[in-house]
Amino acid sequence: MLQAKVITNVRKMSDKASIVDIHGEVNAAAENSLMSAFNQASASHARAVVLNFRGLEYMNSSGIGLLVTLLIRANRQGQKVMATGLSDHYRQIFELTRLNEAIHIYDTEAQALAAANAM
Amino acid sequence: MTTLIRNFWQSLIGQSKPAPQATVMPVVQRPRLPPKPSHEIAPNDPLVAYFQNARGSVEVDRINLDSPAVRALKAAGVRMTVPLVSQGDLLGLLNLGPRLSEQDYSSDDRGLLNNLASQAAPALRVAQLVRQQQLELQARERLEQELRVARLIQQTLLPKELPSLPGWHVSAYYRPARAVGGDFYDFLYLPDGRLGLVVGDVTDKGVPAALVMATTRAILRSAAQRWDAPGRVLEQANDLLHPDIPPKMFVTCLYAILDPQNGRLRYANAGHDVPYCRSSSEVKELRATGMPLGLMPGMSYEEKEAILAPGESVLFYSDGLVEAHNPQRAMFSFPYLRTLVERHTGGATLIDFLLAELAEFTGANWEQEDDVTLVTLQRADTGQAATDSSQPGHAIRDKEWRTLAEFTLPSEAGNERLAMKEVTAAVQDLGLPPARLERLKTAVAEATMNAMEHGNQNRPELPVGIQLLASETVLAVRVTDQGGGQPIPDPHAPDLEAKLAGLQSPRGWGLFLIEKMVDEMHVIRDGGHHTLELIMYLGGDNNASAKL
Repeated sequence: MLQAKVITNVRKMSDKASIVDIHGEVNAAAENSLMSAFNQASASHARAVVLNFRGLEYMNSSGIGLLVTLLIRANRQGQKVMATGLSDHYRQIFELTRLNEAIHIYDTEAQALAAANAM
Repeated sequence: MTTLIRNFWQSLIGQSKPAPQATVMPVVQRPRLPPKPSHEIAPNDPLVAYFQNARGSVEVDRINLDSPAVRALKAAGVRMTVPLVSQGDLLGLLNLGPRLSEQDYSSDDRGLLNNLASQAAPALRVAQLVRQQQLELQARERLEQELRVARLIQQTLLPKELPSLPGWHVSAYYRPARAVGGDFYDFLYLPDGRLGLVVGDVTDKGVPAALVMATTRAILRSAAQRWDAPGRVLEQANDLLHPDIPPKMFVTCLYAILDPQNGRLRYANAGHDVPYCRSSSEVKELRATGMPLGLMPGMSYEEKEAILAPGESVLFYSDGLVEAHNPQRAMFSFPYLRTLVERHTGGATLIDFLLAELAEFTGANWEQEDDVTLVTLQRADTGQAATDSSQPGHAIRDKEWRTLAEFTLPSEAGNERLAMKEVTAAVQDLGLPPARLERLKTAVAEATMNAMEHGNQNRPELPVGIQLLASETVLAVRVTDQGGGQPIPDPHAPDLEAKLAGLQSPRGWGLFLIEKMVDEMHVIRDGGHHTLELIMYLGGDNNASAKL
């Protein structure tokens, strides 16, 4: 069984937005960690969840599949998902897969939060 | 069951020894019951019809029939016989000798006997059915085991890798039918860089065909080393094979020798399907006459020659393709194959194109009737720019290859990270820009995951092979699985909207990503393996982001 090598941390920034810091590997094994972090971030009815990928070491196609699953859930709950801290490589993968059309990418955490608070 | 009935009856009438024994006579074709000596009643014996009308116990002396079974009963000293009938079928007879008291059987006795028979018959029937099922199961298991052996022989003897010839692209596809026919192909590496190519088909199926295939392959390999002319090789193979081959079996076989320097292809044919040679303007048949191997000794084989110009290719195949049927029982046929070869204009490889057409022709529920073997030999088009990615197997056109690394990994989730590490170390002197290295790493990780999950079905004992080759201008990474699983599909752009709407699985990004990460991606099928070949151009300002 694949060992999860991911650590997530949830920060509530305002009534409207929470940030999920993601460290390590986003692959099939990250499902539980990522989903429970997302649920925690959504618990206070946050309108926006910002995924902070600054600590991301590796993401594979299973990880992309997880993000899609997470997006489906967010859409159902009427939430926005944003991303920040992506390396050029993974930003390019977001663009190739057109994930960037559903998960808006911001250069900095501050920009993401400003966008969330303006919602 | 017999013993049970006998003992039961004996206890009823107080016999301690069966003094003529009560015996059950099964009707023929029922599974025989152990181990009591018993007579069989022929299905057409008048006694069978007799008992369909007469129910209950009967004194043998009163049966007035011209019946071998009745004669046998009388000879055995049987006095009374009770038919065991279940659902209108006579299963057997419960036979009794004279009573020890020498009195006739009373009506009470007969009532008891009839009662016993009415209960014993269905029980016996059930026992027979169970036994029959067991025998059928054993037979099926034996058959499965035999098929496994046949498949193993064949897969062991098919080439493990494809020839890498500068300026040429060789591909092969082989898929055994469930019953495993006798298809085979082989590549022989001859002096002066020439390539020998064999495609053949043994009549018959299963282990016998596999063994003849193994023998033929060995004979051809040795004859090809000894003789230079394809006709002479087949002649020798025929003479050696003929005395040993089982009756009614023979081998159709085509043997060709390619000189990759000048494109000269010399060939001879022992009754095998005629290859098609495709040029830009037409499709030619490469005909040469000759009898199949093993039919009769002293045959000679016509030898012909063709020159393959740049851009031309040859398709070798077996009749599993042309004799495939669609649900309306129409055959794929030679003319249709020829039309398809004419119609093929690049894009997917010819093999992929033909397989897609075959799948469409046969429909989804096709039970493959015979082995399907396809081998193509293609001469690279010299007029083509080296960066044209529509041309598969770009890598092998380069001349000077060195192996940077070669390793295998068990198919365990997470091992794609090891592949990334190894590949990063192996390419560190090539000077890939960091962004391109990241792309290569992602492509290698995805290809490895694909091989572990789909090719090897996550079975750790099945390795994923990774080979890195580099020339002056190109880096090739080949990721090979053991191919038990599904074939590698064509990559297509996943539909994010459909996924978000829950209409598609959120997964399925792997191949799409790989294709976008590298400059070229090739799928190579070879016997029991699939290989993904990832190509990165080296030097210059190549940048795969042009693919965005």
